[in-house]
Amino acid sequence: MSFDTSMKVLVVDDFATMRRIVKGVLKQLGFSDIVEAEDGNIALEELKKEKFGLIVSDWNMPNMTGLDLLKAVRGDANLKDIPFIMVTAEGQKENVVEAVKSGVSNYIVKPFTPETFSEKLQKVFGG
Amino acid sequence: MSELIGKIGSEIEKIALEVVTLENGDIPAMGDVMNRLCFLEEKAGEIKEGAFNNLVSALKGYLEKLILSELDDMGPFEEGIEKLQSIHRAMVNEEPFRGDIHPLLKKLGFNSKPNDKGEEVQEEATPEIAEGEEKEPQTESTDAKEESAAESFEESSQETQELSEEDRQILQDFVVESLENLGTIEVSLIDLEQDPTDAETINAIFRPFHTIKGVSGFLNLDKINKLAHSAENLLDKARNGEIRVEGMVIDLILESVDMLKKMIEGVQDALETGGPLDAGIDIGPLVKRINDAHSGEGDKPLGEILVNKGAVAKEDVEEGLSKQKEEPDKKIGGILVEEKKTGSKEVISALREQKRYNRRHIDLQVKVDTKKLDNLVDLTGELVISQAMLRQNEWVRNANDQKLFHTLNQLNQITSSLQRTAMSLRMIPIKSTFQKMVRLVRDLAKNSGKEVGLEMSGEETEIDRNVVDELYEPMVHMIRNAVDHGIEMPDEREKAGKDRKGTIFLKAYHRGGNIIIEIKDNGRGLDKARILEKARSSNLITDEDQLTESEIYNLIFRPGFSTAQKVTDISGRGVGMDVVKRAIEKLRGRVEINSIPGEGSTFVISLPLTLAIIEGMVVRVGKERYIIPALAILESFRPQKDQYSTVEGKGELILSRGRLIPLIRLDRVFGVQGDSVHPWDGLVVAVESDGEQRCLLLDELLGKEEVVIKSLGESLKHTKGIAGGAIMGDGRVGLILDISGLFEIAQMN
Repeated sequence: MSFDTSMKVLVVDDFATMRRIVKGVLKQLGFSDIVEAEDGNIALEELKKEKFGLIVSDWNMPNMTGLDLLKAVRGDANLKDIPFIMVTAEGQKENVVEAVKSGVSNYIVKPFTPETFSEKLQKVFGG
Repeated sequence: MSELIGKIGSEIEKIALEVVTLENGDIPAMGDVMNRLCFLEEKAGEIKEGAFNNLVSALKGYLEKLILSELDDMGPFEEGIEKLQSIHRAMVNEEPFRGDIHPLLKKLGFNSKPNDKGEEVQEEATPEIAEGEEKEPQTESTDAKEESAAESFEESSQETQELSEEDRQILQDFVVESLENLGTIEVSLIDLEQDPTDAETINAIFRPFHTIKGVSGFLNLDKINKLAHSAENLLDKARNGEIRVEGMVIDLILESVDMLKKMIEGVQDALETGGPLDAGIDIGPLVKRINDAHSGEGDKPLGEILVNKGAVAKEDVEEGLSKQKEEPDKKIGGILVEEKKTGSKEVISALREQKRYNRRHIDLQVKVDTKKLDNLVDLTGELVISQAMLRQNEWVRNANDQKLFHTLNQLNQITSSLQRTAMSLRMIPIKSTFQKMVRLVRDLAKNSGKEVGLEMSGEETEIDRNVVDELYEPMVHMIRNAVDHGIEMPDEREKAGKDRKGTIFLKAYHRGGNIIIEIKDNGRGLDKARILEKARSSNLITDEDQLTESEIYNLIFRPGFSTAQKVTDISGRGVGMDVVKRAIEKLRGRVEINSIPGEGSTFVISLPLTLAIIEGMVVRVGKERYIIPALAILESFRPQKDQYSTVEGKGELILSRGRLIPLIRLDRVFGVQGDSVHPWDGLVVAVESDGEQRCLLLDELLGKEEVVIKSLGESLKHTKGIAGGAIMGDGRVGLILDISGLFEIAQMN
């Protein structure tokens, strides 16, 4: 592992089961400091409260989509450097391109294994 | 122009610099290059340089594929950027670009052919990939998917025993959360029927399918995943406005919801009992129908019907279909008629046949007239009674026959579960009623200049559908009342140290055999002094009356009572809370008020779960039996001699808890022969209706019982004092008392 697993990670998804799965994958990779948010608005509040080392967000959420969250994060001087991984569903290519254009650090397609997730993290943290 | 060319040049330079260090998989850098290409594409529109425009579009398309990991060869991309630089150099020198970019465009997967305007037009094409370089694409093409989805799926034999504790937990969560989410779809569909194009609602329906698809993919629940995927695709088309959500599409969505529920419940069962997670449900036919709906065609394509009828040759249909691809808004029937392949009459009759095919599928949901349901509930009630009579039959009880008892026990179990099922058929979640209040609160707040939020809990609580309909009006009244009288103006709230925004809480839950609905606000609470003052000035009470706190609150339910300072259009006209109380009592419910000054008020409505069954106290008067609705009963006791008194003009009174309550002798009211001459010989049951209390004199309490209400039929329907009849366990009839009618009879005597 070439990334620092002590960092605080924010997992954003409106579906609790999905958050649990993502958390499970993160824990398998050694992360332990994980905060959950149900949508983009709540995520932004959390981001203002504490310093995060990574954001993992779903695309499709009520109130504020993952893309809007990404744009808000990249548009905020204090947050813009936080690595941001977007979780998308298979077959939603235009979403991926949209997210990439908005400055996403990487994307991962559901369903994924801890291995793929780890690979993406390596790329994000220049491992 | 030269300024524009300069801008383009510096952008190309930046791209060229980035490409040198660009590694495949460096998503942020790729995103940056992508944005620059988009900028170039925008600017390229302003210069009429075909080669440049095509190359930029081609590079964009290629970069997209790199981003999506469909390709990983950076070579053609770098080559394209170099070419872009040379085209730009030609522009700067104001000379035409003489190179041939076609081979490069081909490498980049960009096929173009000149159209009649002489411009180059892009066609869909896949980049040429040298052998051995081909990567596993991340997604199958949709066609392949639909084909495989249309087949029946192999049993996935994932056994629950092999699951880790963590997986079990996740599956458990998935079951609960998915079912909850699927429950929301039906309500959204109702909204959608009002406005089939509302994007927000379509999205709300789309999301549960989307998340279920996502999670089931992780959990290897293949069938659930497949079905959710098809439904999601259908809704995606609806989101993009390609199909309208109506009729057949709504049916398909509902069927998908039902089938997903079934499968997810199967997962639940598997978790509890072990066994395969993927229950043996065949989703093939439904998936196929959903996929057919995508194409806007029915179960059977029109062309096929025409061919079968012999109205047109198969080749002509195929030719027509390829024409249709060029002009997608044209209908195949129209094309065939235009081409003189068939007559319009044949097409029309084929269309009719097609409609028949589409209707032929069997729905998993059936609409049933509620009258039939009521009838079913009635009949099951009678069945329960008949079997109770059978059990109590003397001959049967004395029969010493094990087999008979065994059969009777079985019958007993079957009838009671039949009754439960019949009852549950009429139950619907209170959610839809709650959700109507959201809008109401928003409008009321806007009109009154207050800030009010609405919070709900227990929306899934089920209640008899007949009760739900009756409940809407009273709830509207109470919420109006809470916004109008309860919640203060924002400034006033701030002064009191509260949040500027007031909140109304709606809560539903089951307690005992009742459903409880709480309407709570965190406003100023009820003002006892003002209620009293108002009641005195409207002559509802006299100055001597000493009232308890809850009696004071209950004054607001009196007809003609209103404390609004000014007459707003919301409330304050003296109509309102008395209507609420009457409506709730008509449903055999009751409403109570709790209030703390400065902190708010809570109105608690308790209602019977169903109107078909009543919980009552069975009492005896002489040889007759009556049933007193349990909701009306306050207490029962054997009065002492000294509690009894008579007052001129008021009749007989019973002293209970320091208050004198008028006595009603049931035997006199109904003209039967009772046992008790004096009140202290018999029993007294204190009852309440419309805030009035009376004591009923009777001979004996026989016990509590739930009985199925029967109307007394047309001729006796309007008998005062009797709400209906019920058949008791021993087969005899007991009459259910109508308390407020009883009070009226006593008043007249």
